[in-house]
Amino acid sequence: MGPQLSWYLALSAVLFTIGAVGVIVKRNVIAMFMCIELMLNAVNLSFVAFSSFFQDVSGQLFVFIVMTVAAAEAAVGLGIIITIFRNRESLDVDDANILKL
Amino acid sequence: MSTLLFIIFAGMAIGCAIAMVSQSNPLYSAISLIGVFISLASIYVTLAAPFIAAVQVIVYAGAIMVLVIFVIMLLNVEHSEPRRKRLKFLVPMAIGMAAVLLAETVFILHSVQITENHPAANISDVGLTHSIGVGLFTGYLLPFEITSVLLLMAIVGAMSLARRTTILSATARVVPGSQVLAMDIVNPRGVEDLRMVETETTEEAAHLLGVDFHSERSERE
Repeated sequence: MGPQLSWYLALSAVLFTIGAVGVIVKRNVIAMFMCIELMLNAVNLSFVAFSSFFQDVSGQLFVFIVMTVAAAEAAVGLGIIITIFRNRESLDVDDANILKL
Repeated sequence: MSTLLFIIFAGMAIGCAIAMVSQSNPLYSAISLIGVFISLASIYVTLAAPFIAAVQVIVYAGAIMVLVIFVIMLLNVEHSEPRRKRLKFLVPMAIGMAAVLLAETVFILHSVQITENHPAANISDVGLTHSIGVGLFTGYLLPFEITSVLLLMAIVGAMSLARRTTILSATARVVPGSQVLAMDIVNPRGVEDLRMVETETTEEAAHLLGVDFHSERSERE
């Protein structure tokens, strides 16, 4: 008897919760960014688990697209982080409190 | 055997994730995040999804994390000072709402039946590169194309965001004639200085503001 589907979903939920707590707790914008990546990965895990247990390839295609979105998000997000740092000399999100660069 | 593997890699993933959140140095948390990615890739292998596992290692642990670590080292912020305490009255409220959320989660976990699904035999081709490619180029062709457009937008956006603008940018010129410019228009960092400058040319404005500006014309001369 191998691991059940609910085990994978529980692991996914735990990882997502840790990521969400990290986004709330962290003040460094790069650390928040990495916590968002962790949340994306938790969702990917549940997609792959469903895909494998129900023998349907759609879940893995969604994972592929989520990874592409994550790569695009990394490029644009890190560009924004660099611009904020250049203008404010700080990576603290509390310092970036107006909606302009 | 597969249960043992799941427990090992799930423990690694959760441990690395907790280490990532608890670290204060962003470089260490980035390395912990790579640990999470590697253990998730191992779990994907045990779930008979070798293509996704390979892409996880190459794209996430390779490309994205290298980009993140590159930015961390480029900005070179040592460690954040302890944050100032504020909004203290929100702490008991947050604890109460977390308790409500936890109670809801326990209720859902108790009320939902635990499914008794087993993974099908590994002889199927779901998760191989062939079936993923067929799926991407037949049923999911439109999302695939939209994703490519998204990547193009990301390239353009990243370039336009990260482009270094000079203090007086190359396209900006003070039009000859009497111009009144606040300091913070010309120099975004000097928000404290609000004195007006009245000049005839860009060079003269730059000279009066004490910023370094060389136009192509002055370089030619």
